[in-house]
Amino acid sequence: MDEEMMQSNLLELEEFDEEKMKAESADLLELRYLTKENAKFERTPGGFVTLTYKDKTYDRVGVYRTFPVTMPEEFISIREADEKAREIGVIEKLSALDPEQAKMLKEQLDLRYFTPEITKIFDIKTEYGYGYFHVMTTYGECRFTIHNGGSSVVSLTDTRIVINDLDGNRFEVPDIMKLTVAERKKLDLFI
Amino acid sequence: MKLYYELKEEQKRLVQSDPSEELWYCVPLDLLYDRKNKVAEEKFAGKEQFIAVTTKRILVLNGNEISYERNLADCEEVKCETMVGCGIVTAKVNGAAELVARFSMRHIERVAYVARGADLLAKGDTEKITSHEYEKYCEKCGRALPGTSKCPKCDGKNVVIKKFTDLCGGYQWKLLGISAIMLLSSAISILMPYVQKNFIDNVLATKSGDMTDVAKFVGIMLALTAVNVTLYILKNWWCVLLGSQLSMDLRRKLYTKIQRLSMSFMNKRKPGELMNRVSGDTSQIRRFMEEVFGGMLSALITMIASLIIMISIDAKMTLYSTSLIVLVFVITRLYWSYIHKIFHRQWVKDDKLRSGLQDVISGMRVVKSFGQEEAEVTKFKALTADFAQVQKKNETFWALFYPMLTFIMGVGSYIAIYFGGVDVLEGGMTVGTLMQFVTYTGYLYGPLGWMTHLPRSVMQMITSLNRIYDVLDEEPAIKDGVEAKDVEIQGDVTFKDVTFGYNSYDPVLEHIDLEVKKGEMIGLVGASGTGKSTMINLIMRLYDVDRGAILVDGVDVREIKQESFHDQIGVVLQETFLFSGTILNNIRFANPKATMEEVIRAAKAANAHDFIVKTPDGYNTYVGERGFNLSGGERQRIAIARAILTNPRLLILDEATSALDTESEYLIQQALDRLTEGRTTFAIAHRLSTLRNADRLVVIDGHSIAEVGTHDELMEKKGIYHGLVTAQLQMAKL
Repeated sequence: MDEEMMQSNLLELEEFDEEKMKAESADLLELRYLTKENAKFERTPGGFVTLTYKDKTYDRVGVYRTFPVTMPEEFISIREADEKAREIGVIEKLSALDPEQAKMLKEQLDLRYFTPEITKIFDIKTEYGYGYFHVMTTYGECRFTIHNGGSSVVSLTDTRIVINDLDGNRFEVPDIMKLTVAERKKLDLFI
Repeated sequence: MKLYYELKEEQKRLVQSDPSEELWYCVPLDLLYDRKNKVAEEKFAGKEQFIAVTTKRILVLNGNEISYERNLADCEEVKCETMVGCGIVTAKVNGAAELVARFSMRHIERVAYVARGADLLAKGDTEKITSHEYEKYCEKCGRALPGTSKCPKCDGKNVVIKKFTDLCGGYQWKLLGISAIMLLSSAISILMPYVQKNFIDNVLATKSGDMTDVAKFVGIMLALTAVNVTLYILKNWWCVLLGSQLSMDLRRKLYTKIQRLSMSFMNKRKPGELMNRVSGDTSQIRRFMEEVFGGMLSALITMIASLIIMISIDAKMTLYSTSLIVLVFVITRLYWSYIHKIFHRQWVKDDKLRSGLQDVISGMRVVKSFGQEEAEVTKFKALTADFAQVQKKNETFWALFYPMLTFIMGVGSYIAIYFGGVDVLEGGMTVGTLMQFVTYTGYLYGPLGWMTHLPRSVMQMITSLNRIYDVLDEEPAIKDGVEAKDVEIQGDVTFKDVTFGYNSYDPVLEHIDLEVKKGEMIGLVGASGTGKSTMINLIMRLYDVDRGAILVDGVDVREIKQESFHDQIGVVLQETFLFSGTILNNIRFANPKATMEEVIRAAKAANAHDFIVKTPDGYNTYVGERGFNLSGGERQRIAIARAILTNPRLLILDEATSALDTESEYLIQQALDRLTEGRTTFAIAHRLSTLRNADRLVVIDGHSIAEVGTHDELMEKKGIYHGLVTAQLQMAKL
């Protein structure tokens, strides 16, 4: 692996010239759309997807959201699976793909993004600088801990909030008005 | 951090199929993956899902079932990948990645270690890795740990209190004095109602006394009050003294310890956090000694004594009047917790207002140039309105309910007056006794409000103590061994199969072998983040290698006394840090005994003498924070003079000439040439031209040494170095 990397690095550096750099930066500039006509995804036995695009096959691609909060199924960026994660192209709307292809990508998004939504607040206890939450989420019952004060709770809009816990997990409350008054009161301390 | 969780017997049997197979790592997973349909399930896993790595296999256990297993011999690579809010472990089998497990961020560090362990095993390396990181949560109670290894609530408490009493041991006389004063002042407080009772019953009620009796009473009360006030002042004074001495002690100890601790400890913590421990947590201790400690004892003594006397006067009445004590305690507690809550909310709003204001004012140029003043004004108006509303509500609440609280606290006295009054009318009790009784009731109810805060203050102090002792108890990762000796360094340096990573699951350097001869200058080259600075950190022994060894003159650096080793190393870094003080002191930093002549010679060699003399105060010029403003090049030359003065055998230059203009670079280059002569030198430079004097260049890439050789050799080889040089030449042309 290391040798491979070295080799590729070697090649890159050896062939350094202005033309190539210009081409690369132009490449970065371009917004390439993947459509059902020019791109084909396939599931791998290992649980990922491959992509064939413009006669080139990628063994595994990463599926990223560009607007995870506001448009979770639009402008999906398909990127190479290595550390550099170069963009191969963008899918404008998942719904514009074949349903089976869209489903495949949706599964990859579900794999990549862990964003449980809080549906019910059982209890919030504060103690010595930490807030202890006991909630029901779309993933089931859950307890987590946040730092009191600071930026643990972020308001995305007036009614939508994201809570970051000590570990770096993110819990979303899509609409705080849908919580009961008592639940909102508990949460009020942090908003 | 724990990398081995005990499995149930049944699960263990599953994992251990044959006796030669050993279970090495086993950590919990919290997200489910539907392996049949190959989709992530939107469901938390139960408590029995684990990822386990044995010496032969990697497995995922779901209850008593193996949901995934793979022979490590079949894996080319095992990797932990970070996703968004979660992570996955992948294994590469026959060139294709396959998903092993998915988990939330709660377990990511643990799993990353395990994946690294599995990867080593897959590659035939039988090193068992361990993690030195702290747990984030207490295993017993699940509370978040405030950056300490022990839970302040569970196991930290007793140990810490014992340590604290040990610490107080040095001040036993002061503590005894304070206790004596508190006893005395409690006694006087208890005595005063008694004197008052005698006066009322014997003088006022019987109307038998005269002016002198009244004067005598007033005199006694006045004297007692005066004594009490004096004692109070004395007690406070001593408590403050004790508090500040204790916190100074702790502060000194902390600072000394932090200086001794290794860089690996520093890197795990933010500088702000350590500063907070030295100043914030020690202040917390001081505040506790001043505000709580003194009051706590005397309040307790007074309360107990009052209760005893009350019972001796009238047990039944005592029962009546104290019946509400629990209720009042609960009410005040609720009241204060509510007050805390609403004022916290106000504080949050206030914070928002402030940061909004700061945002706009510091970004004024952008706001103005995009013509967004109106929008910002509207936004700010909303924020202020919000804050004002909360503030109004809170202040109203405070104003309305505080008097009520005071009333509730007095309730006991009213009960006492009622029953006592009836008793007095019926002739069972004298007026004086009633007055005495009522005063004692006040003594009982009075401190209640304050005592509701007590658990909180005590816990805060324990947390602070815990954080302090966490640093004090930390053993430096780099220690002088028993055999460590002073060594006169000649300058041969050898890297022998060195592997190192700041986190052991993420190696920065792997299998580094390099021999450097005395007096040689080695240029370290490579893209950023490849491990050049890490190599230098290892040579300076700011960290110890994970595997392999670094030898200086054939001696392992771990067998050389750190102090003697560091004395013989000179360092010039990219950003020169000058301490507050004169130029002279800064040059003499590592060699305070150097003579003036030596200092001037060093400064001349560093091309620094001229500019120093041109400053108004010469070598006495005050530099550092808020001091005389030196340019980057000037600072750098002072650093070089500093290094020359120590006359090091080993010299380290980390980007010493970057970020300088051409003229000062030339001066510094000259100075450096003089400095490096005859010394073993390791230099990192982004600008390759700076390394033209290097005897050999070492190109680091992909965690290991990619190329070694002279400039000409490497150019001929047309490898990475050749590529870097061409790239820089091209950029220079552009």
